[in-house]
Amino acid sequence: MSQELFESMAQSIIDGDSDVAVELANKAIAAGVDPLAAITDGFVRGVNQVGESFARGEAFLPELVMAGEAMKAAVATLEPEMQKRGTQRQMLGKVVLATVEGDIHEIGKTLVGTMLSASGFEVSDMGVDVSAAKILAKVKEVGADLVGLSALLTTTMVKQKEVIDVLDKEGLRRKVKVMVGGAPVTREWVQKIEADGYSEDAIGAVAVAKQLVGAA
Amino acid sequence: MITERPAIEPIQTDFRLKFATDEQLDMLQEATLRILEEVGVKFPSEKTLRIFSEHGAHVDKDTQIVKIPRQLVMKALSTVPRYFKLGARDPACDLQLQENVTYFCSDGCGVETIDFETRQRRPSCKEDVGKMAHIADYLSAMSFSWPMVSAQDYGTTAPLHEMDASWNNTVKHVQSETIMGEKPCQYAVEMAKVLTGSAEELRRRPVFSLTVCTIAPLVQDKEGIEGALVLAEAGVPVGFLAMPTLGTTAPATLPGAYVVGDAEIISAIVLMQLAHPGAPVFHSMMHAWADPRSGNYISYSQNSGGRYIVVDMAHHWNIPSFGGAYGTDSPVAGNWQSAAEVALDPFLIGLAGAEFVTGMGLSNTYTLLYPESIILDADIYHRARYQLMRQDISPETLALEVIAAVGPGGHFLAQKHTRQHMRASLKPAINHEVGPDGKYRDPVEAARDKVAWIIKNYQPEPLEEAKRKELIRILSAADRELGGGRK
Repeated sequence: MSQELFESMAQSIIDGDSDVAVELANKAIAAGVDPLAAITDGFVRGVNQVGESFARGEAFLPELVMAGEAMKAAVATLEPEMQKRGTQRQMLGKVVLATVEGDIHEIGKTLVGTMLSASGFEVSDMGVDVSAAKILAKVKEVGADLVGLSALLTTTMVKQKEVIDVLDKEGLRRKVKVMVGGAPVTREWVQKIEADGYSEDAIGAVAVAKQLVGAA
Repeated sequence: MITERPAIEPIQTDFRLKFATDEQLDMLQEATLRILEEVGVKFPSEKTLRIFSEHGAHVDKDTQIVKIPRQLVMKALSTVPRYFKLGARDPACDLQLQENVTYFCSDGCGVETIDFETRQRRPSCKEDVGKMAHIADYLSAMSFSWPMVSAQDYGTTAPLHEMDASWNNTVKHVQSETIMGEKPCQYAVEMAKVLTGSAEELRRRPVFSLTVCTIAPLVQDKEGIEGALVLAEAGVPVGFLAMPTLGTTAPATLPGAYVVGDAEIISAIVLMQLAHPGAPVFHSMMHAWADPRSGNYISYSQNSGGRYIVVDMAHHWNIPSFGGAYGTDSPVAGNWQSAAEVALDPFLIGLAGAEFVTGMGLSNTYTLLYPESIILDADIYHRARYQLMRQDISPETLALEVIAAVGPGGHFLAQKHTRQHMRASLKPAINHEVGPDGKYRDPVEAARDKVAWIIKNYQPEPLEEAKRKELIRILSAADRELGGGRK
């Protein structure tokens, strides 16, 4: 029964169907299925499959995002049961995400957040137009392993450097890795501001994040 | 190997743009009528002079110039069918000429090929014709096929071998632009009857047609016009393509060139109708310029609108228009010039409402074949095709509920509506192919790969063995009689 259920779970993610994913998560709880196994052997396989198919150019962005949303909904349904059992999902790392100060472009950052979250990272998405000071406070608050900084404008990308400087000043630079992204960001820029990682798209960002936390 | 052929996708649009007013078209028509009446057209053919003479045209046997009274012109044109059918080997590919639909084909007839394997420039051959027909068979942009290059390895019977190579590699309608003379046309009709099974069926669903070039200014080619009469008698559609060159073979003004070309075309069509009333015919003109500094032939300038106004001229006569598109002057495929010169053609000719149009895939002013150019030109074609479609504006596509659900500042990626529509909303162009590095590929390289893919993976429906052999038998007879064959 479990195997069949796991396959349906993976399929619900591939279909991007949050309602079905939640229904299957509840079904698993009722049947006494280990919620961790439901995530790892069921839902995550769907996420991986959508990610691979996106990388091959077969899946499109909405499929990717809806898979991420369905994953989020399934995990949220399973969380109380995990707490009850005193277990928790092994996360790959804690990520603070933000679009830098002065920039209100959100979609790229949101996509990265969705994919990181679906891939097993604990993501704190701070939204847009976030100052370096606020990002620093959040990093300290959640004990972040990674910071992801988005900027769409050549005029705001300099703020990515400002965040790195602030982290450096606080002595957090060794512990906290910094990923940057956004249309104007290039490999040369990444080197110049001494960021740790960069990707041109959300799927690539997951691979970079995994590499930075040693989970690749 | 796949054998499933993508369906033909003609331009279908009810958008319409007239490039001349009715008053201007009347002026052009009046000028043509005056040329036909007062200047005349030279028909260097006893047979055609006799036909004109019998029907009351003024024929000067010494100069071979025919002057046609306007009443005779109008009477002859009254029997021209406004629409007709172009048959195909596979009846599913038959093309019914009609309003609001424009069918496109490949270009012809080049004389050199950039060899696809060696990338060396060499004279074209029969194998090239077959290979390009094979590719055209697969492409949805190609409603029918022109032999793209000359089968130069077959000498005087090359045009018949071009038909053979085409029919062996495509089930679509084939239009020749090289068969000249009574005998070759008779052989072509014999070959076509092998495909259709009978003369009646050939008349009902002609599996080939012919474009005959006139000679500017105001002369018909003896072989061309006599061959055309053979086809008109058999019910095979035949069209006349005038190619006046401004400043040399035509006046240096565009309207002057149009009426010289028009008089050539109309005089030939009148002849066809006098000899065989009701014969399917079509009107075609591609003007060019002589470079005033060198005399070089320039088919594309910044004022190339004559390619579209001639469609209006044909329709003003109530004759189907065979539009002239593509055929860049660029000697190199896939560069700025090769795209810029032709980019407006399918769009504007579609808007003008030509019934059918040549032709994609040649460079260097219709002379040089880069096989990948047909893919690049087809990409430009599909851009026009989509842009000429009416858009679906409906509650579903307005998506007001989705807009309200997302609200200001959100995003649409997580909406079922987006998932449902996003895949189809983007029509990917050749430059949207993604390479292994995740980046968009160079479109010319992608086009080359597509050519290689089609040749390797797609098998056009083969011609039945008995028919294939019968074509070979007829070709052998033609080679013997006309002195052609493999050189």
